[in-house]
Amino acid sequence: MLELVAGVLLAAGLVLFVLRPVLRPTTGLEAGEAEEAGADEGDDPDDDLSPRAVALRALKEIEFDRATGKLSDADYDALKQKYTAEALVALRAERGTLTPGASPGIAEPRAVTRPQCPTHGPRPETDAQFCSECGRRLASAAAYCARCGASLEHEARYCHACGARVAA
Amino acid sequence: MTRRGFLAGTLGLLTVCPSNRLSAQSPDSLPGTGPSGKLWDPSRAGRPFDPVSAADNDAAIQAIEKQIHCTCGCNLDVYTCRTTDFTCGTSPAMHRRVVALAGQGKTAQQILDAFVQQNGVSILMAPPKRGFNLAGYFVPSLLIVAAGVILTLVLRRWSRAAQPAAPATFPAEVPASPHELERLRRELDQLSG
Amino acid sequence: MTVLGGLCLWLAFLLGVWGALAGFVGGWQGRRDLQESARHAVFAMCATLFVAVAALEWALFQHDFNVEYVAAYTSRNLPIFYTWSALYAGQKGSLLFWATVLSLFGSLAMLLTARRHRALLPYVAGVVCTVATFFVSVMLFGQANPFHRLAYTPLDGNGLNPQLQNPGMVFHPPMLYLGYISITIPFAFAIAALLSKRLDADWLVAIRKWTLLSWLFLSIGICLGMWWAYVELGWGGYWAWDPVENASLLPWLTMTAFLHSVMIQEKRGMLKKWNLALIIGSWLLSIFGTFITRSGVISSVHSFTQSNVGYFFLFFLIAAATASFAVYANRLPLLEAEARLESMVSREASFLFNNLLFVGIAFSVLWGTLFPILSELVQGTKVTVGPPFFNQVNIPLGLALLGLTGIGPLIAWRRASISNLQRQFAAPVTVGVFTALVLLVGGMRDGYALMAIALGGFVVATVVQEFARGARARHRQYGEGHAVALGRLLARNRRRYGGYIVHTGIVILFIAFAGMAFKTETEATLRPGESAILKSPYGWTYTFTHLGVSQYDALNRQVTAATLEIARNGKRLGVLTTEKRQHVDGFGRPTFQPSTEVGIRSDLREDLYVVLAGLVNGTEQAVFRFTINPLVWWVWYGGMIVALGGLIVMWPGGGSPAVKRTQAGYAVRLVGEQ
Repeated sequence: MLELVAGVLLAAGLVLFVLRPVLRPTTGLEAGEAEEAGADEGDDPDDDLSPRAVALRALKEIEFDRATGKLSDADYDALKQKYTAEALVALRAERGTLTPGASPGIAEPRAVTRPQCPTHGPRPETDAQFCSECGRRLASAAAYCARCGASLEHEARYCHACGARVAA
Repeated sequence: MTRRGFLAGTLGLLTVCPSNRLSAQSPDSLPGTGPSGKLWDPSRAGRPFDPVSAADNDAAIQAIEKQIHCTCGCNLDVYTCRTTDFTCGTSPAMHRRVVALAGQGKTAQQILDAFVQQNGVSILMAPPKRGFNLAGYFVPSLLIVAAGVILTLVLRRWSRAAQPAAPATFPAEVPASPHELERLRRELDQLSG
Repeated sequence: MTVLGGLCLWLAFLLGVWGALAGFVGGWQGRRDLQESARHAVFAMCATLFVAVAALEWALFQHDFNVEYVAAYTSRNLPIFYTWSALYAGQKGSLLFWATVLSLFGSLAMLLTARRHRALLPYVAGVVCTVATFFVSVMLFGQANPFHRLAYTPLDGNGLNPQLQNPGMVFHPPMLYLGYISITIPFAFAIAALLSKRLDADWLVAIRKWTLLSWLFLSIGICLGMWWAYVELGWGGYWAWDPVENASLLPWLTMTAFLHSVMIQEKRGMLKKWNLALIIGSWLLSIFGTFITRSGVISSVHSFTQSNVGYFFLFFLIAAATASFAVYANRLPLLEAEARLESMVSREASFLFNNLLFVGIAFSVLWGTLFPILSELVQGTKVTVGPPFFNQVNIPLGLALLGLTGIGPLIAWRRASISNLQRQFAAPVTVGVFTALVLLVGGMRDGYALMAIALGGFVVATVVQEFARGARARHRQYGEGHAVALGRLLARNRRRYGGYIVHTGIVILFIAFAGMAFKTETEATLRPGESAILKSPYGWTYTFTHLGVSQYDALNRQVTAATLEIARNGKRLGVLTTEKRQHVDGFGRPTFQPSTEVGIRSDLREDLYVVLAGLVNGTEQAVFRFTINPLVWWVWYGGMIVALGGLIVMWPGGGSPAVKRTQAGYAVRLVGEQ
């Protein structure tokens, strides 16, 4: 008899617990929200699978693989170039899409003028340096030579300081 | 006589077992006589056993038994079953049959055939390599080889796809501002290495 | 307490049905209230099932023999240790255990999942509730209610099967179950990702960690199972390709494949379809394993768990497979990803071949397990597929896999060139060849064993080289001392170097398996004072001298113990005891067939394994079986190292970004920097 009573009480309690979010949705949501705050603490950086993180980890790995002798210098240079480009593209894309404050160290105040691509028109990203459709360098972007770092003139095809070819 | 004294006496007397072939063991005296004491309650020790015979340790007999499936429901071969639990009555019976057939001068294959004739193919631990059973043996290997070939081809296609595409997608030198490079480096430093 | 227990089962059933409905509908329609309710249903189900477990344990410890389950699996004189484990000794109890642990894992998944993956949780709750409800409904509707009462009360219970009265048996089933059950969580996340169409990379993170957890549990469970079989079953081996053993190996193989191929998806975004299929397949294989264990469709040594409940599982297996692959097929277009490889010679390619071998081995094991049924269907004759078949097919595949274990880590991700490969392979290959030569000169002629040990040497050399070069690179870059560099190397790249430790454990396992090729055995009849002689593969001569037989009563058994003195090359090593045990109930009535207790003496090189077969005509003249099993101890060591490596891989990444910055690894020079 005692068992039956205990069982019924348990059942009643749990049914109430389960149905409460449906019967009184607001309290349930608040409870859920409260729990969610801080749930991301302790997240593993390895779990970040954004293109930026993937490219950065790739760069790291390339470096390490060369240090341990797995990559030849030629392979290293090629991969390095490729993944640096990828990381830069990801960085730029992310700066455009992320809300300020979401990722500390990335968000920086920017002018709100929309850069234009000659073929694809105004870009949605306020700070785009390259067109996210075709990858062309936008006229508004301040350009530097990838080899010597000298500041380039607009539309320059070769660097005036070192003569390196300017891509795209 | 205490057990210790008794053992000292017997140890002194015995010079048995020069090898692991039991044919070399000293012949048993009548069971229950000689230096073996009576058990207090033999029923506790399971079914009574016969002394080991030479055939029990005969490698040829064992090799045959390892190919025969015990019918007691244990899913083991006769040799493993009869030497594992020692409570099974089926596997010792099957063992005696193997020994009897071998005693008639039959070869291993003939003994196996005799078992198959009586109990069907399922008496063999592995199905004979003929007919549909060949599928049993070769389907996994063939599939793995086929999948390996396909995988190689697919990999080749993927790596070919990457070769011409790579330079097009990522310009060899992306013009990057020192500011950007600096940030990229900061981000890299934040990654634990 | 059976009333409460029974009520709890029904309550769990209703909660499960509600949770499944609320989860799927709430996720589908985006209704927060239903989603929250489904989440609560998982917690409530867990609480209910825990009360049910408590009720069953109560009945077990109270010796309430009116309860059929209690009478069937315990007796008054059963040691407390085993009374506790009777919870999962029988089929009905293990169903309860299964459902309870599943709801516990479900609750943990609800609590621990990061916010980013919250959108998946309603579906996860739905899947967990569905699966747990299935297990509860088998208990309720499949005549498997552990709280079922008998019409009368026996004076004493039947007691636990003597083979299960072994410490290994207290831990082996729960570990294996934990492994089997926790696969449900990655499966639930996979289905959730498919249903919610959130098929970006994020679901992968949630799945990977849970898969790692269940892989770890399953590895430990399988090793404990081998240990139990070795010390308790008495045939002197630990793996017999029994269908139930195969069933536990299958999901382990596919999960191991997943844990490798998941890295390619993380780095390249490829193979999404393949990875999802591996997870769904692993889960289905675990249910298939349960079906095999429970149904007796395929004969097995685990016959103590057979019943008609198997057909519930068959139905569930087919329904679940159909449903999951239907969802999978429906979402395939969303899983398209650009597949590119920089080179055929790359870690990616080697991982794909590793996947091929893992899945290939899994397939051949499954094929062999099911072939008797297939043969009966196709050619009408029953055949037996035993160890010879499995060894023939799987030893070469296993050796190939072992080789890849060494080759993979030496190839760089993305691209490798010949000169670097030469530099990477030189030392390990030398070690492998040298090992082979030493063994050949030492007189080893068993081809497979030779290859296993030589490949083992090669793989261990690769692991050592990886650690050494990695540490040296750190030393060069940061000026860390060698020991510090080594420690940081492991701590900063737990996944990579923890994985290498797992590889080392696997190598040790393979070498230990190879040792079994040199097993020596003999049977002998000895009177007290007589001895048998056995040569070990190392060339030693062991002398086993029969000292005598004693009989005495223990807690719940009558023991007949034979004692032997052992000497190696004439030098006394000690005594070994092997027993016949007649288990009895509280009234001294015999309960099971007499069982055998093996005497084992282990050292690092070989085990002496002595079994008392029986006694001749009620005298002390005893029939013994002597076995020398080389390298068996290394199976357990290997298992422990695998588990250790798994733990290292799983260990959560800690520290704030600031800490990481100070400990940062590589200073990366960028293109354009001088």
